[in-house]
Amino acid sequence: MGILDRTRSKSLPTGLSNGNRFAPEDDSQWLTRPFALSRFQPRASTPATRRRRKLVVRVAIAIAVAGLFACFVWPGTASFISIFSLGLLSSDNDGLLDTVRYYDLSNVQGTARGWEREERILLCVPLRDAEPHLQMMFSHLRNLTYPHHLIDLAFLVSDSKDRTLDVLIERLEDQQADDDPKQPYGEISIIEKDFGQKVNQDVESRHGFAAQASRRKLMAQARNWLLSATLRPYHSWVYWRDVDVETAPFTILEDLMRHNKDIIVPNVWRPLPDWLGGEQPYDLNSWQESETALTLADTLDEDAVIVEGYAEYATWRPHLAYLRDPYGDPDMEMEIDGVGGVSILAKAKVFRSGCHFPAFSFEKHAETEGFGKVGTINPRATRNGLTNEIQMAKRMGYSVVGLPHYTIWHLYEPSVDDIKHMEEMEKERVAKEAEEKEKAEKEKKIKEQFGDANNQWEKDKSEIQNLAKEESKKETKAGGDTEKSDSQGAKKEISQAKDEAQKVES
Amino acid sequence: MARPMGPVRLRRTNPVTVIIGIVLCTFIIYFLSNTGSSSRPTASKSRNVNSKPVPKSNLAHIRRDVQRFNLNHVTITKDPIANREAVLILTPMARFYQDYWDNLMKLSYPHDLITLGFIIPKNKEGNAATMALQAQIAKTQKSATNKFRRVIIERQDFDPPLASQDESERHKMENQKVRRAAMSKARNSLLFTTLGPDTSWVLWLDGDIVETPPTLIQDLASHDKPIIVPNCYQRYKDDNNKAAERAYDFNSWQDSETAQELAAKMGPEDLLLEGYEALPTYRTLMAYMELDDKDDVRAEVPLDGVGGTALLVRADVHRDGAMFPPFPFYHLIETEGFAKMAKRLGWQATGLPNYKVYHYNE
Repeated sequence: MGILDRTRSKSLPTGLSNGNRFAPEDDSQWLTRPFALSRFQPRASTPATRRRRKLVVRVAIAIAVAGLFACFVWPGTASFISIFSLGLLSSDNDGLLDTVRYYDLSNVQGTARGWEREERILLCVPLRDAEPHLQMMFSHLRNLTYPHHLIDLAFLVSDSKDRTLDVLIERLEDQQADDDPKQPYGEISIIEKDFGQKVNQDVESRHGFAAQASRRKLMAQARNWLLSATLRPYHSWVYWRDVDVETAPFTILEDLMRHNKDIIVPNVWRPLPDWLGGEQPYDLNSWQESETALTLADTLDEDAVIVEGYAEYATWRPHLAYLRDPYGDPDMEMEIDGVGGVSILAKAKVFRSGCHFPAFSFEKHAETEGFGKVGTINPRATRNGLTNEIQMAKRMGYSVVGLPHYTIWHLYEPSVDDIKHMEEMEKERVAKEAEEKEKAEKEKKIKEQFGDANNQWEKDKSEIQNLAKEESKKETKAGGDTEKSDSQGAKKEISQAKDEAQKVES
Repeated sequence: MARPMGPVRLRRTNPVTVIIGIVLCTFIIYFLSNTGSSSRPTASKSRNVNSKPVPKSNLAHIRRDVQRFNLNHVTITKDPIANREAVLILTPMARFYQDYWDNLMKLSYPHDLITLGFIIPKNKEGNAATMALQAQIAKTQKSATNKFRRVIIERQDFDPPLASQDESERHKMENQKVRRAAMSKARNSLLFTTLGPDTSWVLWLDGDIVETPPTLIQDLASHDKPIIVPNCYQRYKDDNNKAAERAYDFNSWQDSETAQELAAKMGPEDLLLEGYEALPTYRTLMAYMELDDKDDVRAEVPLDGVGGTALLVRADVHRDGAMFPPFPFYHLIETEGFAKMAKRLGWQATGLPNYKVYHYNE
């Protein structure tokens, strides 16, 4: 009550003294005052001044509208607008704009929905003698659903003896000049660098146990060169992709990104011909660490490299590839300690902070992964490599995840053994075909003989019938009694002919 | 007379309101119609891709040309000026010193071959450093002469570790590990985002190096070593107020057997740091090396650990994957770990005990 009283007592005097009650009257007075003054002017002059004012206002509006419209429509006035909007700074800073760049790295951390936040991806593809696979790779590139202008492509062409570089440039230029405005990619860099690799690229030498370590180290080097030359402060993600992936979902970038992990890999399998079982795990480089492997590592010297999938090093590691269930949940995640390089999506911050593919033995693993023309192995002996980058990433506390039920398919290239097997199969097939042909010919011959006999019989039959008819006609002309016996004689002749024919047949 | 006219005049719209309304409408219509369409692709297309334009939505659907870089043709030689070799000067900066910038401007290496890269932490001090640095850069880059080829300023994406509080000796060393791990990450972030396809040399120059010979780059490159580090000293006034100098950077050293033995006993996550009494390593420090000829600035010594205050590295070494480990790598971290990693990749570090650069003195 006291409060109410106080407020009222406060408001009342002010209301009275300020004349709140008369406020509306005041307003109307203010509004009508100029009018009241004009009452003393000659009557005719009022509309004239008002009309003139109206005209001036209309003209002003028209000019303003026309001016604004011209500004927007006329492209030459772009700089004119900027003077009004952004001040004189921009025109002064032309030299600065060309040479000075400012980046806040906290803006490029990478999130689960990068395509909505316009996060840029650097897509890295190492190439070596990869001409036959380029067409397949570009069909994948065309189909990627992640906005193409947000993807920067980086290729490393090294030690290639075929037309990889020419074909690559040709195809990239086609891609950039595509009629569909959604096709062209962002920045495209082709890095050429020859490392003088001495390891032969043929199957046996590539997958021989002895060659693995040095081969891996060279590949790691190539990857590091590509990444260090093309990674920029505005990249949020880095995607490593091998050229010889045959089948992969168009949405692979979004699918992997959605998990929002620092490093993530799908399962990699490859199709096989039916006689080899139809399909097979391909990438055995994604694994979980095992006690056995750790113990093994302790026994090796510092330059040794543990290579997965060779009898020399039995590690008993659980592999991502073998855990695949074709009907499993593709979003299922599995923590892993090593990753294969066929298809890796990683946040750029992982590489920025220093993770890379060690070209030396890092805690007993040299990283390297298939690059260029990869992969022809005996179905039972598997191809391997360790991505040791992951060892580093683990040390730095990044999350490394594999998707056991999300599968991409690597190209199948027959190995030497497979080719031998195929040759044998081909020989068998040819032999079988020849045999079948022979058989068919024999049958044909027999059939022909059959056909001849039948024809002969038909001919004979018709001749005999004709003969019989003629004779019977003669008989009917000659007399009635002999008719029967004659016709019987004719019948006898026919049956004799039949017997003859049957003899021939048999 | 006035009364009936009143309401009529009230309803009459004010011309100012009409004008504002029309202007607003025009703007709204303009912006609505503008966002959907791609605006002026020609303006950005002409831009050199090397200038690394900032990604913006309106850059969508621009057709960029294919860029080719042949790294077989990037030379790294004793005579970098004659071969027009590009140099990348990288500076992790916590505080801006005018002396640092003045010294940088004095470098006689052609500025059009130099790209500057800075990385600055995102805190109050960092903001101040950025402001001061940008002011200097603006001044330099607007002038027609002595302009650097490119300047890249980056801000760290992680928080700098808290300033170390000295509690116990062990705690201090623990702090040291965190601090140097953050430093390594900053160095790596800067390095891997600025290293271009045409870079021949990388010069690491700390933000508190205030005095170097103007021919620093040429001098170091002329030794033709993969990793080369000058001796880092500090000028000060001694008790008699006389100018004197003392060794500053103790991270450049040759390994000792004692240190090796110590390392062998350590756990995998332990660091073997230099300059702690608790861990006497008996390594041979370049800072205190006594050479026969004190004036021979070209005297070289092999090193196992290097300091990062001033350090010239062949770009190849970094491209091969030598980086600053932010974790204990053979019980070493940051620049010392870098020397070890480079060694594992087959590159040997070299020191120049008599060639001096000077650190800022507070």
